[in-house]
Amino acid sequence: MSEPIQVALNEALERPNLIAFVVLFLCGFFVMTTNSNMIKKLIGIYLLQTSVLLLLVTIGVKQGETSVPILTTDHIKSPETIVPADYVNPLPHVLTLTAIVVQVATLGVSLALVAAIYRKYGSLDENEVLQKIE
Amino acid sequence: MRDHLPVILFLVPFATAICLPMVGLKARTWCRPLALASLVVMFVLAIVNLLLVQEHGKQSYGLAGWMPGGDPTLGIEWVNDHLASAMLVAISFLAPLCLLYSGSLTPTIEKHRVVPYYTLILLLISALTGIVFAGDIFNVFVFLEVAALSAYALVALAGGRALIAAFRYLILGTLGSTFYLLGVVFFYATTGTLNMAEMNQQFIASPELLHSKAVVGGMTFLFLGLGIKMALFPLHAWLPGAYTRAPDAISPLLAGLMTKVALYGCVRILFWGLAAGKLLEPVPALTLLGRLGMLAALAGSLLALAQQELKRMFAYGGISHIGLILIGVSQTNQTAFAGSMFYLMNDAIMQAGLFFIAGAAILHHEARTVTDLPRLRQSPWLVAAFIVLALSMIGIPPTGGFFGKWHIILGALEAENYLATTAIVVSTLLTMAYFQRLFLRIFGHSEVVPDSAKGPLALPVKLAVGLTAMLVVVLGLCSGPLIGFFRLTASAAGL
Repeated sequence: MSEPIQVALNEALERPNLIAFVVLFLCGFFVMTTNSNMIKKLIGIYLLQTSVLLLLVTIGVKQGETSVPILTTDHIKSPETIVPADYVNPLPHVLTLTAIVVQVATLGVSLALVAAIYRKYGSLDENEVLQKIE
Repeated sequence: MRDHLPVILFLVPFATAICLPMVGLKARTWCRPLALASLVVMFVLAIVNLLLVQEHGKQSYGLAGWMPGGDPTLGIEWVNDHLASAMLVAISFLAPLCLLYSGSLTPTIEKHRVVPYYTLILLLISALTGIVFAGDIFNVFVFLEVAALSAYALVALAGGRALIAAFRYLILGTLGSTFYLLGVVFFYATTGTLNMAEMNQQFIASPELLHSKAVVGGMTFLFLGLGIKMALFPLHAWLPGAYTRAPDAISPLLAGLMTKVALYGCVRILFWGLAAGKLLEPVPALTLLGRLGMLAALAGSLLALAQQELKRMFAYGGISHIGLILIGVSQTNQTAFAGSMFYLMNDAIMQAGLFFIAGAAILHHEARTVTDLPRLRQSPWLVAAFIVLALSMIGIPPTGGFFGKWHIILGALEAENYLATTAIVVSTLLTMAYFQRLFLRIFGHSEVVPDSAKGPLALPVKLAVGLTAMLVVVLGLCSGPLIGFFRLTASAAGL
């Protein structure tokens, strides 16, 4: 194996979270675009959203021994003793939580929509439904 | 009171939206007056807000009062400046008008859907308010999603074919917001902040950050996502179907506001977040957006020319106007920026007005396609308003559309961007061509028209159509001070 490829590979393997994100993202995109079944489309888009959330969570991690930022009363009494480098960045987690709520709401609306389409046309396949309309 | 006006503006429609299902449980007939009243109150407050901002200048509001050390950038910041307050007046003016107009069309919405209908409209309006005020890119995402979710449900309310259109809208809209979120992640990973003002300072302090792979990737995904939301030309596939199939009472609201507010968000992030007005580094992104804008302006009007269905034609017209506004934004000079912001307000009103007319044509004359148009002759009121709105769409003085387009062209000439100028002129000619086609049908020779009118036009319809037509003329006549006002916003954007 040539030198640059090895370096690139090593660099990539240092960030497995990015590889996982890309794989999940592309899987989701593929499932979403290639299936005509509406539920499968929704599964694809759910996977896509989840991959972004995964990336969002993993960027909060820091090198070394870090933990969840739970502060004790000692910390609050003397804020200068808090060392930010000891804790995982909590903001991405908060963002992820909000984004999960958004994702769940989207899924709820989309499933309701698919259910309404199924009741009306008796099919979950987009092409079949379009044929029935025409 | 003044300090909390932004959040009050948001809470008026939002709180009503929460209360409506409970009120609707007891008395369904109360929903409509209640929703209308809250939107009118919001309009009054928005005007008060505009006047206050003009007098006292920009206000930054820390949501829930959480601003450690008096610095709202650490918490959730809402920015209440000139551009935001003007945009808010446009939103809160169109919203009650659409609601008023929809009154005569409610029979097309089934009885048991009345409660969700009004609730969703109010939620949509409060979410749009949120996007307008949001001072950080993550809140823009959250409110974009709330607005989009209400819009999916509103499109689907018509049932039947609208369900499929709504599903497609949902898939593409969700894809768009996921891309947007990915962009946000990249920006956060590079700058460590979500607040636009703080990001702006960081980029100005170290412009080379804008060349880093993460920021370039973030920008790509961010604007890809927003591009889907604002139906920028190659990403517009969801729009014509959704607007055509949506209930006639809803399409004016969506056409007037949804894409415009997404465009507003894009401008906010470009100029207030990425400092596109002050730095040279974001210029490639602006150039790309401008090129895409040209493509959209031409392709939108060309596709509009080819349509048979009235609503679909207007939807494509809207797509071409998004392109026009983007051309103006991308010239990076005050004239074009002010012109495009003025055009943005105009376009919101014109699009709403055109869809009012399309809805009334369907309801009163069963005129869905171009061939049915001669039937409109029985409603002179409708045709008169249509002519005024068409003049504004084409851009003929003294309507607002002319002055907006004029300043965009002046700005493009100032930037010596002759390609953009040509694109605007050609798209104007194409716009003229498709309106020509419509008016030839209305006034041209045709066989005797069967009496199709279902009674006279209802008063709310007349009012909505007349007001929008009148307003584009008023905006045109007051264009001097208004352009001056938007020049102020341009200098706030750093141009």
